[in-house]
Amino acid sequence: MTYLFIILYAITLVYFALSERVKKFIWLLAIQGIILFGIVFYSLNEIEIFDFIFILLETIIVKSLLIPSFLNKVRKHNQLKREDEPSIPVFYSIIVVVISILISFLLSNYLNDIHLHTQYFTISFASVIFGIYFIIIHKNIYSHLVGYLIIENGIFLLSLAVGNVMPLMVNLAVLLDVFMGVLVLGIFINRIGDTFNSVKLDQISKLKD
Amino acid sequence: MLLIFLISSILISAAIYFIRNRFVLMFMSALFMISISAIGVYSYFNIDKGDSVYFKFDSISVILTFIMVILSIATFYHSRLYISRNDFSKKSISIYYATFILLTVSMTMAYFAENLVVMWVSIEASTLLVSILTFHERTKEALEATWKYLFISSLGIAFTFIGILFLSITASSQGITDLSISNLISISSSMNPLWLKVAFLLALTGFSAKMNLFPLHTVAVDAKTFAPTPISAFLSTALINIGFIGIFRFFTIISSTEILHWAQNVLLIAGIASILMAALQMFRVRNYKRLFAFSSLEHMGFIAIALGVGGLGYYAAILHLIFHSFVKASLFYQIEQAHQFFKSYWIENIGGYFKLNPVGGLAMILASISILAIPPSGLFISEFLAFKAMFLGGYQYIAIFVLLLLTVIIYKFSKFIFHLLYSEVPRDLKIENVKINPFESISQFLLLGLVIYLGIDPPIFFTNLINSAIAALN
Repeated sequence: MTYLFIILYAITLVYFALSERVKKFIWLLAIQGIILFGIVFYSLNEIEIFDFIFILLETIIVKSLLIPSFLNKVRKHNQLKREDEPSIPVFYSIIVVVISILISFLLSNYLNDIHLHTQYFTISFASVIFGIYFIIIHKNIYSHLVGYLIIENGIFLLSLAVGNVMPLMVNLAVLLDVFMGVLVLGIFINRIGDTFNSVKLDQISKLKD
Repeated sequence: MLLIFLISSILISAAIYFIRNRFVLMFMSALFMISISAIGVYSYFNIDKGDSVYFKFDSISVILTFIMVILSIATFYHSRLYISRNDFSKKSISIYYATFILLTVSMTMAYFAENLVVMWVSIEASTLLVSILTFHERTKEALEATWKYLFISSLGIAFTFIGILFLSITASSQGITDLSISNLISISSSMNPLWLKVAFLLALTGFSAKMNLFPLHTVAVDAKTFAPTPISAFLSTALINIGFIGIFRFFTIISSTEILHWAQNVLLIAGIASILMAALQMFRVRNYKRLFAFSSLEHMGFIAIALGVGGLGYYAAILHLIFHSFVKASLFYQIEQAHQFFKSYWIENIGGYFKLNPVGGLAMILASISILAIPPSGLFISEFLAFKAMFLGGYQYIAIFVLLLLTVIIYKFSKFIFHLLYSEVPRDLKIENVKINPFESISQFLLLGLVIYLGIDPPIFFTNLINSAIAALN
């Protein structure tokens, strides 16, 4: 079952590459939150119950409900509907997703560490690589925030990859990172939208000598 | 002890934010200054002792805390002057001071953290607090600088977290699951070198945004340019030291492993790239605060090289970090004073400062001589020791290349400072209402005097502290 969720997570990455609508990004992030919960749920025999409850709150409440609703507010505030065409065609982006998953798969096989859950590691590494790629190809700070969240979801999976030996503190750190990061970045996106009348990157690149 | 300090500081910060009364602000600020000074003294007398499982008072953290205590007191003083000369709302002032106190607390936690995750959380908190302070003036430029700082730092800190997770993978194979720095050091020689290398690279990249080091140095430069100047001084010193301690902790873990030489080469590359970038930017820079920020890039590059060289270089690196903190803060405090006359930080709008404010001009000359590592500056001693380590360690080609780059930097930096001090006063300048008390430069003279004293005749406890801090590396 865990493999099914991991495949579903990989599919969401492909959809991110395919999508151009901002609303779809939010939906995909919410779906990723649910998938992350599914992955944790089927790892229950390997995780202590207190950690499980914490991760449940982190995935369903924070990642699937709070953050998407906050992002939606930011989207409405800045009247964002359709993402500008990314600088690289969608076709190439799909190839990048596939390659990032392949590289991650080969890397986790190469590492073959008994303290590492390779299936989680594969998808987490792919998520981090794709998140960076997502930020690079989009020229809009809202999409950059979405890319940051894809990376954060990758980090969450990575903490699961070493999860059975990690203390609660790591989970707390991931939660702090996501929650505070999104909250503050979202507030600044609103500010930028109000001040510059745009959230496009070329409008906010004035700091030069 | 630190938990009590944390809770009491949060309460002080909350009181300043909610009460918004001048007397409360002054009283609470003084109370905080006393409490953070007490923490500094307490840590010195409890060196190498733990404070709960998450914190420890080791030599490097004690040194950095003392620097921060001194600079936070000076920054409070200059913040008072800055606030009194600008028309800010009560709310804005309370946010400024409350955030500054919380930033100082988060830095203290990061310095004393004995656990990598606690250190990471403290540094993450400092990123958010810095963004609030950088945006204090609510200008378009400040907004852009804040956004860039927040986003890139958050990404950087996320990569550092990946590095910590990678480190935990190899640590768990040795039975260590708590990410305590002492425990990680004790098992480091039996860790998987591949995981260690990846973790170090990720940590170095992430912390470079804080330390103002290549590759993520640009966001730190922007933040320092557009933050309120007393805060720029604090960001260029105490916050840089947070990035340093992050890299230093990882480097300490690696120092007793087979990949030490590899890590030193990585530091050398980062250091040389930083100085090269700083030298190139000297030809483009048009703003004094940006000039000082790029000067920090140069000095941090030099510290990375000194760490990379090893041996005597370790001592030089710590010494350089201490002296840079005091001198750079003085430069920023003094340029804020000059700003009162010129209402600008742009080089083209500034000139004849020595004529307008002889005492301030003198402070600026002394600070510039010090930052360029010209005797009697303490930075001359640290640079001399670092170059000695380079020549003794067989890094003479690197030393010559760095010397060439430093020559370029010294030439361009001096040119800009001479322009500030001795060029014609701008014709349309109105200075009738500008009143600067010469005593406003006293903190700069004290800091610069301290650098000269510690360079020429360092007390035994000072050298012992540095030697103890680098003992783990040797």
